[in-house]
Amino acid sequence: MEGVLEPLLDAKSQVTNQLIDFQWKLGMVVSSDSCRSLKYPYVAVMLKAADHSGQIKNKLFEMTIPQFQNFYRQCKETAAIIETV
Amino acid sequence: MLLDLSEEHKEHLSFLPQVDSAVVAEFGRIAVEFLRRGKLNVSSDTVQHGVEGLTYLLTESSKLMISELDFQDSVFVLGFSEELNKLLLQLYLDNRKEIRTILSELAPDLPSYHSLEWRLDVQLASRSLRQQIKPAVTIKLHLNHNGGHNTSILQTDPATLLHLVQQLEQALEEMKTNHCRRVVRNIK
Repeated sequence: MEGVLEPLLDAKSQVTNQLIDFQWKLGMVVSSDSCRSLKYPYVAVMLKAADHSGQIKNKLFEMTIPQFQNFYRQCKETAAIIETV
Repeated sequence: MLLDLSEEHKEHLSFLPQVDSAVVAEFGRIAVEFLRRGKLNVSSDTVQHGVEGLTYLLTESSKLMISELDFQDSVFVLGFSEELNKLLLQLYLDNRKEIRTILSELAPDLPSYHSLEWRLDVQLASRSLRQQIKPAVTIKLHLNHNGGHNTSILQTDPATLLHLVQQLEQALEEMKTNHCRRVVRNIK
């Protein structure tokens, strides 16, 4: 799904932030100033969230592959539980 | 260069709390000395204005680095006794170097470079496009600002980084031109 979703305001959005966009990318670190020869894969996620005033904040974070697999498993578990509700 | 000692100038003293307490004590002592010779019953406002006025006199003199003669001429208009004029002059000469150091720290401070970490990575896929090979350079810039530490994370492609390096090298090259050399020589 491409593009940015329009924020739908509801009761909970007065308290928490609303997720607008979820972008990810898969990259491989090849070299750094502390270590020259690397082959280090990672997943970078860029979240766009709007607070109750409509102000959009970007949050960028990276995960190692094991961290991402854990993250994915958590999301899958959550989705499975939603099915049962 | 003579000083302008009007009433309004007493308001310009927000840095007073930042001055060393020993210096403020000295100001206070002199202000009180002056009051002793002038009046017996004075309000706290008068004392405060006295200290502020004295502080302003010293900072303006130090800021402009006025000569002894100019200082004496400026203070003369206040109509103090010979002894008090001499005392003020001595106070000015004794403290102006330290006051100038304090004043120099009040200039606006831009963030300054502390260190830099870089990382070269290759983007293999994203939500919008799979099967990519896109090199990128990620930089973590560490800055110092007002005693605190800031970090900025930036990312660019290798071609832009090369251009950035070329621009910076060009800036350094400017230091070697005759014009810059002459300016630097004259300042030294």
